[in-house]
Amino acid sequence: MAVSDVDSGRQKAPLVAPNLRVPFILLILCFAAWGAAANLTDVLVGVFRGIFDMSNFQSSLVQFAYYGAYFCLALPAAFINKRFGYKAGVLVGLGMAAIGGVLFLPASGMLVYEMFLLALFVLAAGLSILETSANPFVIAMGDEASATQRLNLAQAFNPIGANIGVLMGAVLILPRLTPESSKVIMTEEELVASQAADLNLVLQPYLGIAAVLVLIWLLIAFRKFSLPNPPEALDPAATQGNVASRLWHNKHYRYGVVAQFFNVAAQTCVWTFTILYAQDVVGTTPTQAGWWLQASLIIFLVSRFVMTFLLGIIKPTLLLLIMAVFGVVCCAVAMFSWNTVGLVAVVLVSASLSLMFPTIYGVSLQGLGEDAKFGAAGLVMAILGGAIVPMVHAAVMDAVGPAMGYVVPGICLALVAAYAVFDLTHSRPAVGSAPAEQ
Amino acid sequence: MARTPSRLRPLPRLWRLSAATLAVGLTLGLGACSSGPDPVSIGLITKQEDNPYWRSMKQSAQNEASRESVDLVTATGATDVDVEAQRQAIKDMVAKGVKGIILAPTSSTALNPDIEAARQAGVLVVAVDTPVDPVSVVDAYYATDNKEAGRQIGTYAAAKAAQLGLTPKVAMLNLAPGISSGEQRRDGFLEGMGLTAEAPQLAASADTQGDRQLGEKAMATILAQHADVNVVYTVNEQAALGALEALKAADADLSRIVLVSIDGGCQAMRDAVRPGEIDATAMQFPENMARESVRAIATAERGGAAPSGYVNTGTELVSDAPAPGVPSKDTAFGIRTCWG
Repeated sequence: MAVSDVDSGRQKAPLVAPNLRVPFILLILCFAAWGAAANLTDVLVGVFRGIFDMSNFQSSLVQFAYYGAYFCLALPAAFINKRFGYKAGVLVGLGMAAIGGVLFLPASGMLVYEMFLLALFVLAAGLSILETSANPFVIAMGDEASATQRLNLAQAFNPIGANIGVLMGAVLILPRLTPESSKVIMTEEELVASQAADLNLVLQPYLGIAAVLVLIWLLIAFRKFSLPNPPEALDPAATQGNVASRLWHNKHYRYGVVAQFFNVAAQTCVWTFTILYAQDVVGTTPTQAGWWLQASLIIFLVSRFVMTFLLGIIKPTLLLLIMAVFGVVCCAVAMFSWNTVGLVAVVLVSASLSLMFPTIYGVSLQGLGEDAKFGAAGLVMAILGGAIVPMVHAAVMDAVGPAMGYVVPGICLALVAAYAVFDLTHSRPAVGSAPAEQ
Repeated sequence: MARTPSRLRPLPRLWRLSAATLAVGLTLGLGACSSGPDPVSIGLITKQEDNPYWRSMKQSAQNEASRESVDLVTATGATDVDVEAQRQAIKDMVAKGVKGIILAPTSSTALNPDIEAARQAGVLVVAVDTPVDPVSVVDAYYATDNKEAGRQIGTYAAAKAAQLGLTPKVAMLNLAPGISSGEQRRDGFLEGMGLTAEAPQLAASADTQGDRQLGEKAMATILAQHADVNVVYTVNEQAALGALEALKAADADLSRIVLVSIDGGCQAMRDAVRPGEIDATAMQFPENMARESVRAIATAERGGAAPSGYVNTGTELVSDAPAPGVPSKDTAFGIRTCWG
């Protein structure tokens, strides 16, 4: 309140240190950039399946490459930050992601799927380092009291970027792809030419993202600044010992990591296969399918605000349970209603997903005290679910049909619901107490 | 909250910087815009628009026209035999100065004088789906290879029957005498099955005019006389849906009957092929007829080669119960590429 500021005689600290406003804006663009890249990848699964005439399982390797890179680079990114600082981490991440974007250029020339997977891996590896560095970097860019507000502001640009990513796919790629029916009458030479033309469409948005990343890299690299709120270095000696053991024996945390794994898995499955469901089950055009995915992300965004309000009224794990069960019901409808109703159900799963990551994150770390710093790493590593489980979803699609694949996110959400039930029915140990067998 | 002017000053610069960064990204991302070629005016005349087959063809032509900078003029009749409406449409389009006409003729001969008059006026004419007689009356003919479509389902039916351990007893639900597309499909089916027209495996045949109710009636009649029929050929999916109703009414064991058809319409794909009641269908692609003919005329008018001869617009066998050694696509492909 302005009155209290005057009364206390202190001037309220700005959200961002004045000399760091430009870097802060640039980092905000980074948050948008990795949201855009991640959700553009959701579009790519179906695009590559059509271009390379592959099975669903083969095309799902796109997500394995992307989320696998995120998982693999999380720890090296932490090392870079610790050894060289956040700025170095951000620059390495930006540079690597830009190289990944540029690698789409030779990949589209070679017409080789594996080369695209490599480009995606490098892009996602860079974005993983960028994300790991940018979060604490943003926190350090101003007064400690406003750190959460600053981080929330920056992170608000992530879903905006996600929507831009899908929009790029829906506008720049999907409507201009070679129609599948026309390939039926093409000669080998014509097929190769259509492959090259379609891959060129894929190339454009990634080159655009790479160009933005290079620009941000230059603007950050040649700017000198010091952080007013450098983060405290963790004292390994003070935190080592039986932290892992304490975390392992805390079932609320342990099951929370498992729940987060399946939450990320469900989210990646649902968004990856929305386009394929729309086309294969309902028979929409690729362009229309892109808009259905866009609707999913908008519902996700709007639901986040609704859930934030509801979390003030309803106990978090109870709301988690309700929404997880809602998600399971939506998946069941998608499995058995092979029409627009099923597609609407697929889109509505995004409403259930909207509260899961932050809720599971908060509930799992609740009461962990200092152990939360290490516990958080485990929850971030749960992103591995996004790499592995979509391949299972795709394999089910290949074996028993595109609609039945939704049994996989259905099971994932059921496991999230089970975690919510566990938390609701089991008391957690008090902070600092020895972990009891629960 | 009070702020000094010096604190406010950097903000516009920051916004400019952000805007510039975004602008570069969007410009690179969206790609360079380029102006299209000069527009070409093309006419499309379908038979009627109650049937989703023709609506799909028209939609595809419109999509391609917008991609190729073509001004597309469309016209249609009231029924599949509305010759007079098509005759008037040809005259109107020539008067409007179209450079090419894509025509799905309602008669193989009645429109020939009008087509010839249009060509003499310098208009390219491409027949789609249905041929005219003689075929040289038009510049080019874009259509399904009906014999190949029949051959695909015949080959499938033979392999599937063998897989199920059936000795084929075949019922044939044909189109009508004298209609070339129906005769080509029937001949192709027999060839694919490895049968002659006099083969003892042919239990019965009937004409359905491709109509659902007539198909049901014909199948019911055949079942009354030949309850042991285990392979059913249908000339199109409407006849197949009718046959299916008759088979269900007779409590036939569908798992021991191979039912095959031709078309690739979305209704049958969703309601009968995907559930496995129609075992396989050979898809045809009206959108290819429209797309390729629009593109060919536009190319010719811009100095490229003129369309000529017969162009096969493709057939694809679709089944979720593939037969050994017979290439086919799954129904997900069928749902993605079906018409209607």
